[in-house]
Amino acid sequence: MTEAAEQVTEPDIDLTGANAILDKYVDMHGALMPALQEIQEFYGYIPESTVHLTAERLNVYTSQIYGVLTFYAQFHLQPRGKYIVRVCMGTACHVKGAGRIADTIKDRLGVGHAETTDDLKFTAEYVACIGACGMAPVIMVNDGTYGSLTVQKVDEVIEKYQAME
Amino acid sequence: MVTLTIDGKQVTVARTATIYDAAKEAGINIPVLCYAKKLLPYGACRVCLVEVEQMKGRLIPSCTTPVTDGMVVTTDSEEIRKVRKTVLEFLLVNHVVECPVCDKGGECDLQDLTYEYEVVANRFQGEKFDLPTDEVNPLIERNMNRCVLCGKCVRVCDEIVGYGSYSFINRGFETKIATAFDRGLDCEFCGQCVSMCPVGAILPRPFKFKARPWQLKEVDTVCGYCGNGCTVTLGVKANKVETIRFNDKTGVNDGNLCIRGRFGYSYVNSTERLTTPLIRKDGQLVKAGWDEALAAVSKGFKAAGKNLGIITGARLTNEEFYLLKKVAATVGTTNLDHSGGECYKGVTEGLKQTLGVTASTATFPQVEKADAILAIRSDFYETHPVFGMVVNQAVKRNHAKLSIVADKRGKFGKLPDARSLVTKPGLELNVLNGIARVLLDEGLAVTDGVAGLDELKKALAGFAPEQVAAATGVTVDALQQTARELAAAKNSAILLAYGLPYTAYSKELATAAANIAILTGNAGREGSGLYLCGEKANSQGAIDLAVLPGNQGLGAQAMLAAAAAGQVRSLYIVNEDPLVSYPDQGKVEAALAGAEFVVVQDLFLTETAKQADVVLPAASFAEKDGTFTNAERRLQRLHPGITSPGSAKTDQAIFQALLVSLGDKVVYTGTEAIFDALKAGTPYAGIGYADIGLQGAVWGGDHLTVSKQLVPVGGGATVDAPFQLVTGSALYHSGTMSTHASGPNAVISAPYVEFGREDAAALQLVDGDMVQVKGSGCELQLQARVDNRLPQGVLFAPYHFASAGLNRLYKGEASVAVEISK
Ligand code: SF4
Ligand code: SF4
Ligand code: SF4
Ligand code: FES
Ligand code: FES
Repeated sequence: MTEAAEQVTEPDIDLTGANAILDKYVDMHGALMPALQEIQEFYGYIPESTVHLTAERLNVYTSQIYGVLTFYAQFHLQPRGKYIVRVCMGTACHVKGAGRIADTIKDRLGVGHAETTDDLKFTAEYVACIGACGMAPVIMVNDGTYGSLTVQKVDEVIEKYQAME
Repeated sequence: MVTLTIDGKQVTVARTATIYDAAKEAGINIPVLCYAKKLLPYGACRVCLVEVEQMKGRLIPSCTTPVTDGMVVTTDSEEIRKVRKTVLEFLLVNHVVECPVCDKGGECDLQDLTYEYEVVANRFQGEKFDLPTDEVNPLIERNMNRCVLCGKCVRVCDEIVGYGSYSFINRGFETKIATAFDRGLDCEFCGQCVSMCPVGAILPRPFKFKARPWQLKEVDTVCGYCGNGCTVTLGVKANKVETIRFNDKTGVNDGNLCIRGRFGYSYVNSTERLTTPLIRKDGQLVKAGWDEALAAVSKGFKAAGKNLGIITGARLTNEEFYLLKKVAATVGTTNLDHSGGECYKGVTEGLKQTLGVTASTATFPQVEKADAILAIRSDFYETHPVFGMVVNQAVKRNHAKLSIVADKRGKFGKLPDARSLVTKPGLELNVLNGIARVLLDEGLAVTDGVAGLDELKKALAGFAPEQVAAATGVTVDALQQTARELAAAKNSAILLAYGLPYTAYSKELATAAANIAILTGNAGREGSGLYLCGEKANSQGAIDLAVLPGNQGLGAQAMLAAAAAGQVRSLYIVNEDPLVSYPDQGKVEAALAGAEFVVVQDLFLTETAKQADVVLPAASFAEKDGTFTNAERRLQRLHPGITSPGSAKTDQAIFQALLVSLGDKVVYTGTEAIFDALKAGTPYAGIGYADIGLQGAVWGGDHLTVSKQLVPVGGGATVDAPFQLVTGSALYHSGTMSTHASGPNAVISAPYVEFGREDAAALQLVDGDMVQVKGSGCELQLQARVDNRLPQGVLFAPYHFASAGLNRLYKGEASVAVEISK
């Protein structure tokens, strides 16, 4: 395959970090998962160029890495926002109007499921029951949980995070 | 051996067999979808379920379950049929049923099973897949809405091709087969995945809407490109080769093909084929009849007599080579040669002196069982891709230790634990000498019955591992490990390819390789072999039949020189385009200008043909009857699938007609009669035409008897310049012929020069930039490609393309010093 086919339209990524991580894993069997996890930790997501680099350095097919990355929900191929807004779509929340909550977030932030705002501040994710059914409908922003939501309350939460760095 | 009962029949099979294998042996057909003979057991589709009395309570997948003694198996019952039907119903829930417009219709496993199990309605309902089709490349179309997730494409591309295009991505209902980042296919385009897919999810695009399978006439013949000698089964409709059919029953390639074999057939149908003879009149080549053309040719040849020079390519059949030799004899010339002369000459001389043979000493299937493999100079993927796949399997499945001595990193180098001994062009020889030295120093060498030991030891004085390491950049450790592995191996394989772009140091390299074969005990041992792999489909035939300069005759290069000097007065150039493919274009130009009468016989009006006085239109492999001998000495039969366009004739028919017009009285009744006539005094003497069956016939047997004469060789030298250019074969092409085929051209249609990443970065080059390559007093304009194969300072340009003019620069040396500017 030629370089042209591999070329990607993502911003220039400094691969020094990925190289340093991979240095630890070359010649190690079963190194793929931990290496990818560390790369994600470092960049906040898995940039495409690091996939090609990992393929080359660990001598694994790019396709195989892509298979792993799409199989596990923990990996992200797109940059993610600083604040991850998890909207619970579980049964209890659904009944109590999770749809409206999601719509509000989409309206205010312009992002639906698995989408990220252009300023990389927010990523929305629709998830299954997060175990706080008693407070349905529920959202989580990073580690904070917000329950018994109304449209107005959602706005307050959003404003709070928008005001933060 | 294990004995079991299947459907009441007793069967005895090998312990390693599965129930499916055993049933097959007993003539009982169990349906399968995800099983393929050449892939590792997988067991995903559950279509092959059977009942085993000893494992009551559940159904057992027959394709993965090994047989045990006394097993009682039932392959068909009410229960089994019900389960199979359910499996099919499940598959059909999401599968888009579009059989009327699907090219697989008529040979689709899903269609056939659905019919057999009468799945007329579906109890399950679900969303149909609605995925975009992949039509980015011109050769392979992927429609994942038809996929049954059998994983065969993923597995073949990994297990056999070693490319790894595909993977299962996502989870659950979303699971599908995709390339990295779910993009269009961009790979070697060998089409192995096409041949493995049981449904219409991966199809050959050139064949789209061309024919239903039952409308095709299938003709088994031998690929006309390289010396691998793969069986290709032509799918013919209305005298046109429409596709290449999957066939894993005939020949040596297990149904595996490379892009050239699978998609390179199209030149056969090209509208640019020559259809009538051409004669130069008033400076112009004009159409002429055969009578006129043959009369002109025989008159010209007779006038030249012993000053006629005959140069042929290595894609003629053995029978044609024989007739060509008769043409030479009848005219009275001994100036006869093939393939540029130099390229085979060195290697055969080297092997003759050492092993006493001029052919591979063992056969391909043995490589699969090798414990250690040494590949020299070429990554076989570029020259003999399907042999490359054999090596793949030896390494991946049987954990053979692979070492590669070359001037670049290739695909071989990515195989598990492969060792690349990369050095500058020309220094491969030093590395081989270093390995020989380690064998001697460490007392690993086999010396029984070996001659020339003392001389070799003396000659290797300057090749201590440390010295070689300093000179070549290959580490001492790599030299030692390679030597030790080769010495320890019970079965080893040493691979040496040759061809027009690899002429430098050929004799020395062959000798050094043979020395290693002798010292490691490879030479003459059952299960081991040295493989001499010729570039073209019948390179080995040309050597076996001595299409070589006769008594006081001139070789190809000497003929060209003599023609330029006016001593060779006439040239007969058959099946080769030396202006493009021979090293040193200027030399060929001078020869064509110097010869009074030039006859070119080819399929196309090649660059060389344009300079001819008479052009004779010849036939492709798909139109021929006869035999080729592949790189493992296997004679195989060609069968014509189509007739030639216009009045073009096979080379065999042309030579026959020419012989008649030259006054030769012998007329052969057919190809078999010619084969019988050519055998005397050749290695083919013991082979009857009828003995050449589906698997061909290997002359000399599986193991050739060899001599063990060590011959000292010195080291090579490399060019001392910031940049040096090497030439060679690109995976997608073979000689110049493939540049007339739309398949290979769809992937690579133009010449280029390849840079390693460091050089590209230093020169600030990216893919697609135009660069000037200056050297040997000329300047070429080439497109740049960037890849990660080449070490710093080494550039590569493939030699196939007429427009590149590469052979104005390359004159047969290991590499050429060049300057690069943007
Ligand atoms: S064409 Fe060959 S290399 Fe490409 S995906 Fe199919 S099997 Fe793999
Ligand atoms: S594309 Fe074909 S070969 Fe590949 S998994 Fe689907 S059905 Fe099987
Ligand atoms: S070009 Fe060679 S390797 Fe490829 S299919 Fe033809 S004979 Fe086989
Ligand atoms: S359903 Fe939303 S928290 Fe359980
Ligand atoms: S053929 Fe046996 S499970 Fe698919």
